[in-house]
Amino acid sequence: MSPFGQLRLLLFRNLREGARNPVLAYALPIIIPLAVLVLVAKTLYRVTDLPGFPTDNYAEWMTPAIIMLTAMTGVGYAATSLVIDIQSGFLDRLRLLDVRPPALLLSRVLFDVVRVVPAGVVLLIVGLLLGMDLNEGVLGIVLLFALLVLWAAAYGGLYFVVALTTKNAQAPLALAPLFLPLQFLSTQFVPRVLLPGWVQTIADWNPFTYMVDASRAMTTGPLTFAPVAKAVAVAVAMLVVTQTLSLRAYNRAVQGA
Amino acid sequence: MSAIEVDELTKHFVGGVRALEGVTFSVEEGEVFGYLGRNGAGKSTTVRILTTLLRATSGTARVLGHDVATEPAAVRKVFGAALQEAALDELMTGREHLEMAARLAGLGKPASAERAAELLESFGLKAAADRIAAGYSGGMRRRLDVAMAMVRRPEVLFLDEPTTGLDPQGRRAVWELIRDLRDAGSTVFLTTQYLAEADELSGRVAVVHDGRIAAIGTSQELKDRLGTTTVRVRVAPADEARVREAVAPDVVAPAEDGWLEVTVAGGEAAVPAVVGRIVGAGAAVDGLSIRPPSLEDVFVGLTGTQIETSAGGVDVGNVTAVRRSVGLPSGHGR
Repeated sequence: MSPFGQLRLLLFRNLREGARNPVLAYALPIIIPLAVLVLVAKTLYRVTDLPGFPTDNYAEWMTPAIIMLTAMTGVGYAATSLVIDIQSGFLDRLRLLDVRPPALLLSRVLFDVVRVVPAGVVLLIVGLLLGMDLNEGVLGIVLLFALLVLWAAAYGGLYFVVALTTKNAQAPLALAPLFLPLQFLSTQFVPRVLLPGWVQTIADWNPFTYMVDASRAMTTGPLTFAPVAKAVAVAVAMLVVTQTLSLRAYNRAVQGA
Repeated sequence: MSAIEVDELTKHFVGGVRALEGVTFSVEEGEVFGYLGRNGAGKSTTVRILTTLLRATSGTARVLGHDVATEPAAVRKVFGAALQEAALDELMTGREHLEMAARLAGLGKPASAERAAELLESFGLKAAADRIAAGYSGGMRRRLDVAMAMVRRPEVLFLDEPTTGLDPQGRRAVWELIRDLRDAGSTVFLTTQYLAEADELSGRVAVVHDGRIAAIGTSQELKDRLGTTTVRVRVAPADEARVREAVAPDVVAPAEDGWLEVTVAGGEAAVPAVVGRIVGAGAAVDGLSIRPPSLEDVFVGLTGTQIETSAGGVDVGNVTAVRRSVGLPSGHGR
């Protein structure tokens, strides 16, 4: 079977599995971002009164960023499933059937990507209900979801590296709280100018900052080339690095067993 | 050409565990070859190397002429394997397992569905075909696992401890399956920690101990060569000394009610001569019984320890977890 056929078959397996476990697979990624969005929009909305704040609707400010956040609260399921496959021996069965490692890894990455889409849709709807405007129209929304899935794949890569390096199904759970500092040390809550100087420096190195900035350009506008290009470059770089490391960790994991 | 040829195979894991220390044997086509040893003897490591899942540290192994290290893809096409733990996805049904394996093995969609239905039928899983594996019994899991190994109609089949953890009923079903395979002329490499299983199912048996082959032969050969036969005779107390003299240097031990036990090296072939010597010495024998050599005696003689005869007591899951946490190879046994 061609690697592409394998990928399709394995992705189908993951999707079917997700459908049999819908709460964990699809509902869970929505919960935290939804809570953050609603709570923040209903409690901290007066920060928009600060001088230098670019909008007077805090929900509009927060929603695109929170949609990007679903990628960070939603991933991990696939990495854990991969470790379970290693532990159960199912991975050995797949290896005996000549499954190519990249097809296997990619099938899991793509599943993580699929999982965040419903979460993104729900949050977009909630954002609209909270009064957000979509100034960049359909193109902006398409770009927003394209960036969301790219970012989910890139960020999910961290989970794969940890999962395959430790071969411990629980280890990826330890990564879950990482979204908290990344969130605060970015431009998610307030514009860069309102961050303390040292936080600005960290935010400039925080990949999430670039996702947040681009997501706002795609929704609130204005949709310009620079933030989008920067976000794509950062996410692609992260994806390449994490998947290269995952593949190496995978090869070590299966040989050491 | 032998079905499996293994030459001086060694495997040293990172961290210093020496799982195999130079293993050589060959398995003929159509043979059921028993690979008998305790947990940790090196059985699973051998299987994992032969099935291309693990690279050997040194030595070579060929399956139907293909080198497992240099032609893994060719090797994978000719064998099927059911590894130590039934490798199932808890959320997939029996049918989905088999269809997926058939698709990955290169069959088209309709052909895969057909092959899956065929295997479900012949492995007695038809009724459970559309239930997810999480609800399967140990015996059903094992049967599904072996069925997956058969998807490609393999010429050589590896079964790594296929009955470990099964209840007696499940074990009988797997034994029957292996007998069927044997009768159909399949080559089967069967690892086991159960003496009775090796004795019952295998043509030849290799006893593996501490990463080395301690002995190879048919069960009968091993018993004749390495076992001991016990001859029990009942004689009057006055004749005891005659018996001792007649059979020396074989060892005589008194048993209950005037019986004496004479332990003779080798198989039953030695019995007539021993009895002849006793009778010839003028001892009045009024009772005689023989205990033939057992594979267990052979095993104890070779390894210096009793083999586990039941699967109870050891929680394999925990052992694996502990191994993993201390950085030992966490895989399936050693």
